[in-house]
Amino acid sequence: MTELPIRATGLAKTYRIGFALNRRVNALRGLDLQVERSSIYGLLGPNGAGKSTTIKILLNLVQASAGSATLFGRPVSNREARRRVGYVPENPAPYEYLTGLEFVRLCGRVLGLSGADLDAQCTSTLDRVGLSRAKHLQIRRYSKGMIQRVALAQALLGSPELLILDEPTSGLDPVGRREMRDIILETRDRGVTILFCTHIIPDVEALCDRLVVLVAGRAVQEGSVRELVSTGGSVVEVISEGGEPGVLDGLPVQSQRRVGDRTVWQVSEAAVNDLLRKLLARGAQILQVQAARFTLEDLFMKTLAEANAPRVGSEID
Amino acid sequence: MSAAMALVVNGFREARRNRVTVVLLAFAALLVLSSAAIADAAVSTIYRVLVDVALGGASAILAALAIFLSCGSLNQEIQRRTIFIIMSKPISRSAFLLSRVGAILLTLLVLLLVMGALFLMELKVYGAPFHRSQLAAMAMLFVELVVLTSFGALMSTFAGPIVSAVVVAGVYFAGHASRDLYIRAQRSGSALLRVLGKGAYYLLPNLDRLDYKPAAAYTLEPSGRELLVNAGYGLAYAAVVLLVATLIFDRRDFK
Repeated sequence: MTELPIRATGLAKTYRIGFALNRRVNALRGLDLQVERSSIYGLLGPNGAGKSTTIKILLNLVQASAGSATLFGRPVSNREARRRVGYVPENPAPYEYLTGLEFVRLCGRVLGLSGADLDAQCTSTLDRVGLSRAKHLQIRRYSKGMIQRVALAQALLGSPELLILDEPTSGLDPVGRREMRDIILETRDRGVTILFCTHIIPDVEALCDRLVVLVAGRAVQEGSVRELVSTGGSVVEVISEGGEPGVLDGLPVQSQRRVGDRTVWQVSEAAVNDLLRKLLARGAQILQVQAARFTLEDLFMKTLAEANAPRVGSEID
Repeated sequence: MSAAMALVVNGFREARRNRVTVVLLAFAALLVLSSAAIADAAVSTIYRVLVDVALGGASAILAALAIFLSCGSLNQEIQRRTIFIIMSKPISRSAFLLSRVGAILLTLLVLLLVMGALFLMELKVYGAPFHRSQLAAMAMLFVELVVLTSFGALMSTFAGPIVSAVVVAGVYFAGHASRDLYIRAQRSGSALLRVLGKGAYYLLPNLDRLDYKPAAAYTLEPSGRELLVNAGYGLAYAAVVLLVATLIFDRRDFK
C-alpha cells in the first residue's frame, strides 16, 4: 500500500505563555489532513490561524499537544521520512555569512549527499531557481527574492517527494511571485507533492488542487478549489447602460450597484430572463451577461465571518 | 563527511568569519605578547610573570569567548530561525546540538593553539625555560573550556543569551571558588547555609581542579595520573551536562 505523503489526525497544539506559563494559546484544534501524492495542497487562513504551526508539527519543529501526524506513513520524528521532504520556511534565514553555493552545499551534506552527486545537485538546483550567477555572493548581500530562491534551492536537493512551502511568495515582487509559482507548478508536474501555506488568495487559486481553510486553529472548509467556490450557487451578473433602471420591483435582485454610467446586477439564474425583459423595456442597453464568479476571496471572507473567530491570531484562554 | 561533521566545520567557519572572535584573538595575541613588556619591569621574576600574564590572559579571554559563543550561537540560530532549515533535514536534535558544541570547541582549540604558539615563541625570545607544566596548564585549560561550553549549551536550550551568559559566568567564578564556598559554609552557624554550601560544592564543577597555571608559573610538574583523573573529572562533568542539554533540546518547540 502506498502511504499518503501527509496524514494528520486530530492534530492540536497549545502553547503556554506568560511568566508563570499559565495562559494558553490554542494554535491548532483537532486538525485532520490527508494530502494525496502529486498534488498541490493549500493551507489557507488569516494570520495566526495555525498554518505555520501545522507545518512545524509536520517537520517535528514543534511537538503536537494531541493527535498524530505521519509523513509517508512514518511518524514525523522519523529522520528517514524527513529525508524525502524539502522545506522552505516563512521568511527563510539561511546562514548569511555563507555564499549561496556554500549554503546549499551545507544543506546537501546534512541531507547525506556527497562527492560528485552533491556538486551536480547544487549546480542544478541553483540553476533551476535562477541563482547560478549569484552563487558565489555572500547571502547577506542577497535581496529578499534571492533569499527565497536559495531557500527553495536547498529544499529541492535530494529530489524530495514532498515539498512543504510556508508563505513562499510572501514579500516577493510580481515577477518573483510569478517565477516562484512557475517553479512550484513545474515541481508538481515532476510528481512532487506540495503542501503550500499562504494567506495570498490569488496564489491558492493559481496553484492549489485542494485546500483547507483554517480559522483560529480549526479547519472550517476543505475540498478542491472548484468545489469550494461552486458552493456559492448559480448567480448571473448583468451589466446594463442607460434606460434609468432605478429599482426593479418584484425581482429577486441579489445586488445592484452603479459603476459610472453602468449598472451591475446580480440575480439568480431563474430570474435573469425577467430582469433582461424589464431592462430592455425601459430602454436600457444590455452590455454583458455572465455567470457571477464566487471567488475564493468571497469564500474566505464568508468563512471567516461564519466562523465567528478573531480575524487575526489564535484564541487565548 | 557526516552531517554532524559538516555542521561542526560550518560552525567553525561561522566563528572564523565572526568579527568578535577575530577581535578577541587579536586582543589575546596582544595580551600574550605584552606579558614580555610587563616582565621587563621585573627582571628577577621574568619567567613567572611571563607565564602568569600569558596563561592568565589566554585563560580569561578564552573563557569569555567560550561563554559568548556557547550562550550566543544556539540562541542566535533559534531567534534568527536559521535552525528551521537545518532541523527539517534528517538530523537528530542531539546531533545538531553536539555539532554546535563541537564547532565552538574546535574554534577555542584553534585559538588556544595560536596563543600557545605565541607564548612558546615568546619564551624562546626571552630565553626562558620551556617546561612541560606549561603544556599541562594549557591542556587543562581546554578541559575547563569544555566544561564552560557545555554549561553554555545547556543554558541555551531553555534560556535567552543574556540569562545564559550571566549564569555561566556565575558558574565560572563559583566553580573556581567552590572549595572556599564549601569551607565558609561549613563554618557557618546556619544549618541551611551549611546544606546549601555542601549542595553547591557537589553540584558546581570544581574548576580549581583544572587550573594548572600556578603550577606552570612555579614549574611544578603534576603527575600524569593526577592530570588524567582531573581531566576525566572535567570531561565526565561536561558529558553529564551535555546529556541533560540534549534531553531538554529534544523536547523544545521552535516557534
